[in-house]
Amino acid sequence: MRSLKLSLTALGGLVAAASPLIAQEEHAPAPSGGLLSIEGGLMFWTLVVFVILFFVLSKYAFGPITQAVRSREEALRQAIADAKADREAAAALLVEHKAQIDAARGEAQKFIAEGRATAEGMKTSMLEEARKQQADMLERAKRDIDGEKAAAIADLRREAVGIAIAAAGKVIEKNLDDAQNRKLVEGYLAGLQ
Amino acid sequence: MTHSTTRSIVRSISFGSLALLITASAVRAQDERQDERQAEPVRLESGVEQGGAAAAEKPKDFVMPHVLNSSHIAIPWLGAGLEHEIELPKWQPIHIGPITLDLSPTKHVVMLWFSAVLCLIVLVAAGRGAEKARAEGRPAAGLAGGIEAMILYLRNDILLPNLGHHGEKFVPFCLTGFFMILFANLLGLVPYMATATGNLSVTATLAVLSFIMIEVAGMRALGKGYINTVIYWPHDLPIAVKAPISLIMTPVEILSKFTKPFALAMRLFANMTAGHIAVLSLIGMIFTFAQLLNYSPASWGAALIPVSLATAIMALEVFVAFLQAFIFMLLTAVFIGQIRESHH
Repeated sequence: MRSLKLSLTALGGLVAAASPLIAQEEHAPAPSGGLLSIEGGLMFWTLVVFVILFFVLSKYAFGPITQAVRSREEALRQAIADAKADREAAAALLVEHKAQIDAARGEAQKFIAEGRATAEGMKTSMLEEARKQQADMLERAKRDIDGEKAAAIADLRREAVGIAIAAAGKVIEKNLDDAQNRKLVEGYLAGLQ
Repeated sequence: MTHSTTRSIVRSISFGSLALLITASAVRAQDERQDERQAEPVRLESGVEQGGAAAAEKPKDFVMPHVLNSSHIAIPWLGAGLEHEIELPKWQPIHIGPITLDLSPTKHVVMLWFSAVLCLIVLVAAGRGAEKARAEGRPAAGLAGGIEAMILYLRNDILLPNLGHHGEKFVPFCLTGFFMILFANLLGLVPYMATATGNLSVTATLAVLSFIMIEVAGMRALGKGYINTVIYWPHDLPIAVKAPISLIMTPVEILSKFTKPFALAMRLFANMTAGHIAVLSLIGMIFTFAQLLNYSPASWGAALIPVSLATAIMALEVFVAFLQAFIFMLLTAVFIGQIRESHH
């Protein structure tokens, strides 16, 4: 930029030097020429005005305006980049959360399945236990009943024997001894059964 | 920049220029009166001469004096002719070695200064507005916003694509040319003003600057290869073919270097001059019709035609003012881009 300005100034000077030459060739004093006359003074002023405009406008108009626009563009680009980064981060976070939720769901599923399996097992074992207890109890009851029944029969038999002996003793007290009587009654009772 | 500051700047510019105009006219009027007193006897003689001329009924040319450069400028005047001519000072020519340079302010020189001052005021105000807006962290509004949009459009959509890679350093040059030409063009459309860009000296100087810029850009971009833009020397042909082609094409290449800026200068000059001549000719028709109709009331009706035509042409001229500034800048950018891209 600087060297460009320098070369522009230098070349501008060249033109300024050259322009009056053309003017002299044409022999046209400033105001009196025709449409196609070339006026050295006017050329000089054009050059001066252009060079002044170039430097002043570059410094105070084009520079600040382009700079302002550039900084705004930069801010915009930054904002867009930030937004993009944010979006990417959000997407990554979303993926992560989804994975976490999936993992949690799987875990929950596993817990539920486990729980169900445990419950199932417990139910089965409890049922088994209950059935066994029931069977045991049934068995024991049967056994008790059988025992009681046998005892009752034996009791009954003993009682009956006692009563029968007593009764028989009462009836036939005299000739019969105790052993013979017992055999007789027992034979009777066996036949009774 | 807020609307109020824009408005205040516009107001101060208009007040300033108005004050300048009034002061200048007052001073000049005084001078003129003194001149009149001194020039009284001469005036009488010339009056006699003018009377003779009037007898011959030689029509007064009001077109060419308007278009051509002169040593006086016209200002608004509430008197006969509604204008007052101000004679510009005549300075001693400067001698630099063998060169004689007459730097006296002529009509077009003054217009050039005036348009440059307007250009500086408007664009520097816009630059300040843009800077202020940047400091406040918001986009520019009002005048600064408008100029910024213009510069941005020219820079990003027109100049940079044409200038090629790393063309940013040529942008200020092109933009300066654009705004300088634009303000001079537009100032020429204001009544009492003249078009500096309708003078071949001005456009030729701008074209020479463009020419130098194009060639410098070529030298910087191509280095030694710049010689190929002067001497045509195709590398992929046998020497027996190359030599005659080079002999024919080299003058064409050299000529084309000069025709480009020549066309630039001619285009701008011719467009600005032609528009003014067209408008003035149409205005002249008003009086031709009036004369033909013996200044009857019908001549007022007949005047409607040239007046509406002149208005239309004037509207077109506003467009042309922008267009020609744009074309000058665009072609300079295109030529710079061309030479930088050639023979890579």
